[in-house]
Amino acid sequence: MAKTQETIRNFCIIAHIDHGKSTLADRLLEATGVMARRDMTEQVLDSMELERERGITIKSKAVRLPYTAKDGKTYEFNLIDTPGHVDFTYEVSRALAACEGAILVVDASQGIEAQTLANVYMALDHNLEILPVINKIDLPSAQPEVVKQEIEDEIGLDTENCPLISAKQGIGIEDVLEDIARNVPAPEGDPDAPLQALIFDSYYDNYRGAISSVRIKHGTVRVGDRIRMMAGGREFDVTEVGTYRPNGYNPAAQLVAGEVGYIAASIKDIADIRVGDTITRTDNPAAEALPGYKPVLPMVYCGIYPADGANYEALKDALAKLRLNDAALSFEPESSVALGYGFRCGFLGLLHMEIIQERLEREFDLDLVTTAPSVVYNVIKTDGKRMTIDNPTNLPPATEIDYMEEPYVDAQVITPQDYVGAIMELCQDKRGTFRDMKYIDGGRVLLSYDLPLNEVIYDFFDQLKSRTRGYASFDYELKGYVRSDLVKLDMLLNGEMCDALSIIVHRDRAYARGRSIAEKLQEVIPRQLFEIPIQAAIGGKIIARETVKALRKDVLAKCYGGDITRKKKLLEKQKEGKKRMRQVGSVEVPSEAFMAVLKMD
Amino acid sequence: MNGDMKRVALYIHLPFCARKCAYCDFVSFPGQTDRIPAYLDRLAREMRSAVGWYGPLAADTVFLGGGTPSLLSGEQMKRLMGDVGRFFEIAPDAEITVEANPGTVDAEKLAVFREAGINRLSLGVQSFDDGLLRRLGRIHTAREAEDAARMAAEAGFSNLSLDLMYALPGQNMSQWTDTLERALDLPVKHISCYSLILEDGTPMKALIEANPELLPDEEIAVGMQHEAARRLAERGFSRYEISNYALPGFESRHNLVYWRRGDYLGLGCAAHSLMNGIRFANTPSLEGYLAGEGAGEADVLSARDVYEETVMLGLRTREGVEAALLPPDRLARLCGAGLMAVDGGRARVTEAGADVLNAVILELV
Repeated sequence: MAKTQETIRNFCIIAHIDHGKSTLADRLLEATGVMARRDMTEQVLDSMELERERGITIKSKAVRLPYTAKDGKTYEFNLIDTPGHVDFTYEVSRALAACEGAILVVDASQGIEAQTLANVYMALDHNLEILPVINKIDLPSAQPEVVKQEIEDEIGLDTENCPLISAKQGIGIEDVLEDIARNVPAPEGDPDAPLQALIFDSYYDNYRGAISSVRIKHGTVRVGDRIRMMAGGREFDVTEVGTYRPNGYNPAAQLVAGEVGYIAASIKDIADIRVGDTITRTDNPAAEALPGYKPVLPMVYCGIYPADGANYEALKDALAKLRLNDAALSFEPESSVALGYGFRCGFLGLLHMEIIQERLEREFDLDLVTTAPSVVYNVIKTDGKRMTIDNPTNLPPATEIDYMEEPYVDAQVITPQDYVGAIMELCQDKRGTFRDMKYIDGGRVLLSYDLPLNEVIYDFFDQLKSRTRGYASFDYELKGYVRSDLVKLDMLLNGEMCDALSIIVHRDRAYARGRSIAEKLQEVIPRQLFEIPIQAAIGGKIIARETVKALRKDVLAKCYGGDITRKKKLLEKQKEGKKRMRQVGSVEVPSEAFMAVLKMD
Repeated sequence: MNGDMKRVALYIHLPFCARKCAYCDFVSFPGQTDRIPAYLDRLAREMRSAVGWYGPLAADTVFLGGGTPSLLSGEQMKRLMGDVGRFFEIAPDAEITVEANPGTVDAEKLAVFREAGINRLSLGVQSFDDGLLRRLGRIHTAREAEDAARMAAEAGFSNLSLDLMYALPGQNMSQWTDTLERALDLPVKHISCYSLILEDGTPMKALIEANPELLPDEEIAVGMQHEAARRLAERGFSRYEISNYALPGFESRHNLVYWRRGDYLGLGCAAHSLMNGIRFANTPSLEGYLAGEGAGEADVLSARDVYEETVMLGLRTREGVEAALLPPDRLARLCGAGLMAVDGGRARVTEAGADVLNAVILELV
């Protein structure tokens, strides 16, 4: 058994977005022969269409690669792919916990970025051996020596033998493989101890049910074993275990300590498999679970409604299907006066939200109306009761509220020095509290701020991008809840409150926000037969007002020579347009208005 | 005349013109006048097959539209009207209109047209401002238009109509009122006022896209519409249709058939018909039409279509639509807003409602 462990290498690849993680993964698959070049679609591990388009990995995956090294031994590499975005930080940390080593890919011209650092710190937290790799050395702008120095200075890693590669051109791939064989530590763990299998990913397979991707820390698991989820509490009978091939399963008799693979146990609901949980056997249970488990809680909520109310059931089915594979997605029916019946959906973050919305529209061909995202607030009522609010509509009246708390994040921005002023101004605008500023190298600065999450979800990324011309990179982690002076901002259309447009906002920002939303609505609501006053109000007090003037003149289509087809076409087009509008009292509001309140300036 | 005979309004499309105007996207072909004889042959064949299909037809109105029908020579017009008379029963008091471009007529031609049985002339004047006429791509001057109108009157066209356009690029209010006054100084019984429509693919649309500031703003355009209604009313012209004004008894009977959804038969390239509740149109291709291509796909109207058409077309007219047809709550709201009024069981749009007719219609369908 120990002999088996000696040749196992469990590792992941960490990188800033676009630094070439997926391309390197492809080359490793190719070089170890598990996939012939001709069978490769670009970026095999990113199999979802969306993943490929956005160049990010949404779900973790693991694949086993056999590799015969120069020392003559045949190794078993387990490459665990990790999600590459801040929304999935927890998933990343669990994937890292399944490894002994991490390849750190750094772009030879970009150098270290915010995500690089965040990932490195996380990998160090898990005591991983970090192997730096400089990628994209074929680019004319590549400065491998500068980047190597940066890695030594900033992260303190030895870069003397660090492979210089171009994953795209297939240069230096052999060096990476040798580096892994030589420098990633072999796993440890006692195959005869009680089973402790770390779940680092879960997904749904139509034939096998919900499946756990696991790293066996101790013990052995076989088909037929009865297992228990130590945090979840439920028990199942193992129906299949094995390792992963690209695009497939490789069933085995057992998985033993040190190995990475999957466990299928006819599990119907993916919610029974919690990422970070420990699987043990009921016949010889482990005394305690592996450390680090956290229940995954959505951080951002929004309302998702079918554009056509008749598609409510279709939306429900689509959400349920996505939920099969994504335990972090939550949804509950809700209704809105303005939007009818839909769902309150919870997400890990903004990107997660966008991905789900896009998948609903693309894979299920649904036309959606979404409301502005909200974070989760704590409300402490005057009677001492606490409640959490993820939908501004549900906020109790101000008189019943003693105080409220909002979530803050620990934000890190890495930026060229020139933009420090602009970013500090932005963070100030967003109610941020300055924490720290560090010079990384000659040109760049790491800024740390505490920021309210509700400001981060409100055009922070767009602002950061535009104020730094895309040069700054950003990473954040939930820090905790802070007492805050928050108010509910309502929008009134023709005197009637539109529930789907309400937001919770800091009192100091309410006036400016109310004005800009009113202005935005004035732009997106088309003129109608009647004048439409648009008002922003806090607790019944009007703080801003705009007016959509009444329509003055229609262009009439000609009906020349009895040809009324143009007229009919125009009428059809206008009827279509009207169908896509939401009736709020007597006012017709286009669907995009509900999201437009997000995109300001 | 046989009283049981089916009565229709007859539209004949003559798709020939001297030059395409800058705003025009109608089916018309410049520089093809040598094909007029073949076209008239084809029209005669179409008339024959129409009466063969429907049985004998009586026409209360005949309308020769285009294109520029007045491009036909006097002889060609005589031949066409001869064919019309041969295949259709023309009522003795029939309204027989020809559209004329002021740049294509002289006293002699007008006299022959009159002789051929034409009794109403619709002159495409558009404006009495030479600068605007040039911008529109018209082939005549303001002076030529006035001359044409007087010649027509002298030739015996007592029922004379003018087409005018407003909300033109670069047009101001005084240019518009000047055009209205000069029109009213002529011996006319009927005036049509059309707001410029920017059609895709026309030079006019390209001009405005490049220079959007040329277009009068909406308030001015509405003002022009109101000014036309006011000045014309002062001189006894009432607005019997959203774009049409007439002295009492000179409303275009032919056009009213369209708004009332009466039967009309369209002959010629691209001509539209509504016969027995079915809409259809001839091919818009001149080649296709000459080669004998028939009508394209017919549009059999559902009850919903009929309702929508009734509202869409009826509300253009002073007659309005039967109030009982309309959803009462919507109607009440529109009346409350001063956009519609109900009188004698008929619902019509007010002047304010006429300004936003599309939006009013949309509320009701």
